Amino acid sequence: MIAELGHYALVLALATSLLQAALPSAGAFRRDTALMASGTAAAYATFLLVALSFAALTHAHVTSDFSVENVWANSHSAIPLIYKFSGVWGNHEGSMLLWMLILTFFSALVAFFGGNLPATLKAHVLSIQAVIATAFALFVLLTSNPFARLVPAPGEGQDLNPVLQDIGLAIHPPLLYLGYVGFSVCFSFAVAALIEGRLDAAWARWVRPWTLAAWSFLTAGIAMGSYWAYYELGWGGWWFWDPVENASFMPWLAGTALLHSALVMEKREALKIWTVLLALMTFSLSLLGTFLVRSGVLTSVHAFATDPRRGIFILVILILFIGGSLALFALRAARLKAGGLFAPISREGALVFNNLILTTAAATVLTGTLYPLALEALTGSKISVGPPFFNMTFGLLMLPLLFAVPFGPLLAWKRGDLLAAGQRLFAAVAFGLVVGAGVAYAQGGGPVLALLGIALGAYMIGGAATDLVLRSGLGKVSPAIAWRRLSGLPRASFGTALAHAGVGVTVIGIVAVTAFQSEHILAMTPGQTTEAGGYALRFDGLKAGQGPNYSEERGHFTVSRAGVVVDDVWSARRLYTARRMPTTEAGILTFGASQLYVSLGDDQANGGVVVRIWWKPFILCIWGGAVLMMLGGVVSLSDRRLRIGAPSRVRKPVRPLAEAAE
Amino acid sequence: MLFWIIVAVMTATVAALLLVPLLRAGRREAVAGAHDAEVYRDQLEELKRDARNGLIAPEEAALARAEIARRLLAASAKAERPTTGDRSDTHAGRATGENTAPAGRANRLAQAAVIVVLPLVGLCLYLKTGSPELPDAPLAARLANPGEDIELLIAQAERQLAAHPDDGAGYDVLAPIYYRSGRFDDAVSAYSNAIRLKGPSPQRLGGYAESLLAQSGGLVAAEARKALEQSLALEPRDPRARFYLALGLEQDGKEDEALAAFRTIVAASPADAPWLPLVNQHIASLAPSGPAPAADAKLGGPDAAAIARAQTMSTDDRRQMIEGMVSSLAAKLKDAPDNLEGWQRIIRSYAVLGEKTKAEGALQDGLAAFPRDGAGGRQLLALAAELGIDTGKTP
Repeated sequence: MIAELGHYALVLALATSLLQAALPSAGAFRRDTALMASGTAAAYATFLLVALSFAALTHAHVTSDFSVENVWANSHSAIPLIYKFSGVWGNHEGSMLLWMLILTFFSALVAFFGGNLPATLKAHVLSIQAVIATAFALFVLLTSNPFARLVPAPGEGQDLNPVLQDIGLAIHPPLLYLGYVGFSVCFSFAVAALIEGRLDAAWARWVRPWTLAAWSFLTAGIAMGSYWAYYELGWGGWWFWDPVENASFMPWLAGTALLHSALVMEKREALKIWTVLLALMTFSLSLLGTFLVRSGVLTSVHAFATDPRRGIFILVILILFIGGSLALFALRAARLKAGGLFAPISREGALVFNNLILTTAAATVLTGTLYPLALEALTGSKISVGPPFFNMTFGLLMLPLLFAVPFGPLLAWKRGDLLAAGQRLFAAVAFGLVVGAGVAYAQGGGPVLALLGIALGAYMIGGAATDLVLRSGLGKVSPAIAWRRLSGLPRASFGTALAHAGVGVTVIGIVAVTAFQSEHILAMTPGQTTEAGGYALRFDGLKAGQGPNYSEERGHFTVSRAGVVVDDVWSARRLYTARRMPTTEAGILTFGASQLYVSLGDDQANGGVVVRIWWKPFILCIWGGAVLMMLGGVVSLSDRRLRIGAPSRVRKPVRPLAEAAE
Repeated sequence: MLFWIIVAVMTATVAALLLVPLLRAGRREAVAGAHDAEVYRDQLEELKRDARNGLIAPEEAALARAEIARRLLAASAKAERPTTGDRSDTHAGRATGENTAPAGRANRLAQAAVIVVLPLVGLCLYLKTGSPELPDAPLAARLANPGEDIELLIAQAERQLAAHPDDGAGYDVLAPIYYRSGRFDDAVSAYSNAIRLKGPSPQRLGGYAESLLAQSGGLVAAEARKALEQSLALEPRDPRARFYLALGLEQDGKEDEALAAFRTIVAASPADAPWLPLVNQHIASLAPSGPAPAADAKLGGPDAAAIARAQTMSTDDRRQMIEGMVSSLAAKLKDAPDNLEGWQRIIRSYAVLGEKTKAEGALQDGLAAFPRDGAGGRQLLALAAELGIDTGKTP
């Protein structure tokens, strides 16, 4: 009964979405507060119903109710409890329900925090959110129903894909969807602004927290996914330019651009039309990503053609929302007043430069992702656009941007002084070169480009610090005053510095791993020792083991440096019994930011085992930098300037005394 | 019943939640400018704070203040414009009295929409996609009370095996159940596990091969053949293994060998063996009109031993033997033509061997002994017609 109630709750959520789509926007056109307020209630109701439905599906998974087809196909009675939970979204139907849940969650958040918005804007935003929710509720109910039942109920499930039986699955998709779907709010704000024909600095400020939140989640989600792929797939790569990854990376690039252009719009009322377009494009890319991943078109255009129901449905949604919003944009953009002017060398100019590069990069990734699909659909020939393409184009595009990042915050609005900014960054450049030289010394030389890359990363970190130092006036005023100024800085400044430093840290990680990693593939017999990254690994032998739903062979390695044993590590090969699928569990040892990665291969005839060992210097910097970026977003989000009160009837000063003392 | 009650309560609760704001009196909303002004006022505050902390140079602050103030003025102007009277909630110069009535009507329309749409969409779509009569089936509850649930019994046995993966007897029990319920992949692995743990036996090897066959859609592939041959080595008379091996020969296009193999099965089987009809069917399809193997002592046909010999011969040898038998039969009939069955058999034999003229000759000879208009003659003519032998030339 609980499963059926969950099903009914989902159907009811479709009904409330329909009402939420119709009532508030009707209210906005009639300027009727009661109708507009019903949108808020409907947003809460929809979210509660979808949450109920999600809870019902979770209940079915946790209790191994195999009469629910989704549970049967993606669960097993023997898997550990946490994977019974995460298995809820470890499949197509469940993940679409999670998509719905997060979409309606954001609608409810807008309803809750939207008190400071003009009522009509809020009403329109809620309506558009509901239109999206309606489309996806229909998609879930008609093509991907997670509550389909089986009679008679099978006695055992088919198990969750072993690769997904990992803590990574529990965290990665929810984070990623919080990012992906979070941009729907920006989309709805943009469409609402186009409908109302009103676009100003205030709009940008209202959108900023949503952009920041979605961007932070997406950053964390992508980083988590990358780390998961790194340790789970067993061959030591951390980014594959795989279409599924690109699908999440494109909205990130566009979202990063949006984040920066919204800043210009908020401060200077410039770039208005461009910002709206970016808001539309960012969510459109999220939808495109959903289509690519969910329609099966990636596996093969032909696989898509054999069962196109889902794909066609998402394609229609895609055309409806992207086409519809762009048509609205074309219709309305001309009527929007263009904003303020600025010189090319200025904070605005720097942000335009950022936008230019980021959108070009997004377009490059889009081309590289869609071109093979289009080619296969048209000519039937299968090609793959691999890392060489992306590394060349994307890497070259990013280089000037990375170099320019520290300049941005140092330039003044309207008219900046490039030379002065350059002089102030002198220390950062020097810092970068010193770090580069230090690495060259430590490594005993190395590719010049790699050393320059590391210098670039260090320069970005130095540049981020420079910004804070200059703002606090450290060195010019007494340390006490400097400290007071520093602590008085708006949180957003810290957020900017953190995020920009994070990019630098990631760059260092990427360059260091690419240039200095070493790979050792050899057959090892028990007792044999090999060298990797300055460590000696002794293979002690294999040991059979038994997990709850798999059997495994674990290899033990003792790691020593200069003859002293420093650590030991297990690396395993698993065979998941239900699906008879082998997986590798890499053994990973962390030394500072570097890692030793040990993965077991096949048995050899002579009793040895193929062992792959990678030494990955500074690899943790890649994700550490992403975490810093995310933290930057969170810190900015906590800035009190984003918490604007609603207009009160009595026009008293909004800032009470307590604020000043904060 | 409880389910429908909860559905009704759910629907009603959601409807109530949506109706509450609609039941409040519709009020005209303050004009949008007020919210913008709030943002700009906030920006001014921020600017003041930054200037106080020395974060922004005084002249830049002055410029920024002027810019924000311009925006603030524009926003305030928008907000203040309609406020000609003392009411702040009128809109764009419309008279207040004009607005109340339509607002109320829209409100009632919205209320009606809530009341109609929720149950209508909810029930219609749910009844189309849902299965309201199906109860939950959490595994723990099903295991506590398994009853006749075959799926569950299988699952229980599987769990038992997962806990004790060396329990060969468990695989012995499960394998045929898998096979019968059409889970051939599982059957293959269960049989192979049983063989691994409890050693090969004709039963297990045969079942294994049968499952492989089912898995591959009836093809006797190398793996299955190996198992069957192993089974036959253990138990040479095992009819199942012999049958599938013969089937394999037939699939490979070695029809004669297949035919011989099928015949061996018949020879070795008791007369009432249940598999005989199937085997005979294969024999019939391989040799649709060959000489019937049943021996006729009166005609001096080949005895069982001769047939057995024939089955081990090569094709040419066998043909020779058959031809030898036919010519001895012809010699016998020449001496004693009063033998209807004999004539029928020799005509059929010639036809099968493809010697049409000899068949025609035999027919003429037979008709000489059994006149056309007699019962025997008509039988011979009918047979000739059936075999496509020319009968018209006869005078």
